[in-house]
Amino acid sequence: MKSGPLEPGGPSRVPPRIHKGNKGVSIMDLVLRAVAIVATLASAVAMGTTNETLPFFNQFIQFRARYNDLPTFTFFVIVNSIVCFYLVLSLPMSIFHIVRSRATFTRVILIFLDSVMLALLTLGASAAAAIVYLAHKGNASANWLAICQQFNNFCQRISGSLIGSFGGILVFIVLILLSAIALCRRP
Amino acid sequence: MSTDSTRIDVAETEMTSREAKGKAPLLADPPGQVDRKSRGFMGLRRHAGRGGGYKRGIAIFDFVVRLCTLVAAIAATATMATTDETLPFFTQFFQFQASYDDLPAFQFFVVAMAIACVYLGLSIPLSIVSIIRPHAVAARMLLIFFDLGMVVLTTAAASSAAAIVYLAHVGNSNANWLSICQQFNNFCQRTSGAVVAAFLAMLGFMFLVVLSAVILKKP
Repeated sequence: MKSGPLEPGGPSRVPPRIHKGNKGVSIMDLVLRAVAIVATLASAVAMGTTNETLPFFNQFIQFRARYNDLPTFTFFVIVNSIVCFYLVLSLPMSIFHIVRSRATFTRVILIFLDSVMLALLTLGASAAAAIVYLAHKGNASANWLAICQQFNNFCQRISGSLIGSFGGILVFIVLILLSAIALCRRP
Repeated sequence: MSTDSTRIDVAETEMTSREAKGKAPLLADPPGQVDRKSRGFMGLRRHAGRGGGYKRGIAIFDFVVRLCTLVAAIAATATMATTDETLPFFTQFFQFQASYDDLPAFQFFVVAMAIACVYLGLSIPLSIVSIIRPHAVAARMLLIFFDLGMVVLTTAAASSAAAIVYLAHVGNSNANWLSICQQFNNFCQRTSGAVVAAFLAMLGFMFLVVLSAVILKKP
């Protein structure tokens, strides 16, 4: 890399390395953000449009199930909408990083916001997963009956909407790692 | 004449061989003009123009936050793992003993927070290495990767336990799930405290991720 006689006491001269890798990383970042938008939107819609009414009546059991009935699912829908909205807003920032690979301060801000959104998404997804598990299995110790035995369609939808959310979590992890890799490479 | 030139040659090779060995030059350089190859003890070179000073400060702060997160994670694990409440009366329908074993979300909580504690214990030496050598990129990338995984794990454990604790406090009339906190007071308090400690550990991990990102940034 460095040729010629060494000069003790002189300023260090490092030839700048031309790195084309950061543009590829930024483009992958943009693509992954688009994937995460689709995943979280699908999750929010799948959970938000649950509405199952049983054809029979009973004195003790609720005969209609919606996501509104459980506050955890309401929280899940809200969180997924917030994360989807944030991802749409962060697309211009991602495009800016493709154009200008040298920006490091904005990348740090993006990592911070991405990690906040990752934590929020994991909060919503895990809480909903705990309730979905309870709905499937019930709990004998607490006398909580499994409601999935009556509400089949409702259970399938809420279980399926979790997949999109967990996929979004994976995408967020990869996004943060990509930003970290782009930070420690010289553009 | 020939002896003079020989002496000069010997002096020159002596200088270059010192440089080639990677030792500091005999005369101290003025700050700001440190040669890239000069190394001090264990890599603690003068970084006046290269931003090593503030990176070491942030690395020390990272170590302190890591210790605090370890305390929070241990508190969460211990509190949840030692919940066990037995009611003094009997009923035909109700369970009269509640422990964390009864709910799989709490079992997952204990396991996940135990993993977080073990990881934090193992990552403290790596953090110390990163303090000594603030420009070691590999250690920082490893730390940020695993810290990110731990953010997700801790958040998952804390939020699933929080959902069950909320259900235990409030119940749900639509699903006919009764709130069990009215009977098991101590159990509910302990599990709520464990969830709060886990959320503090989650905040600590997020902070660690951002600190690692700032350290990785090339000035």
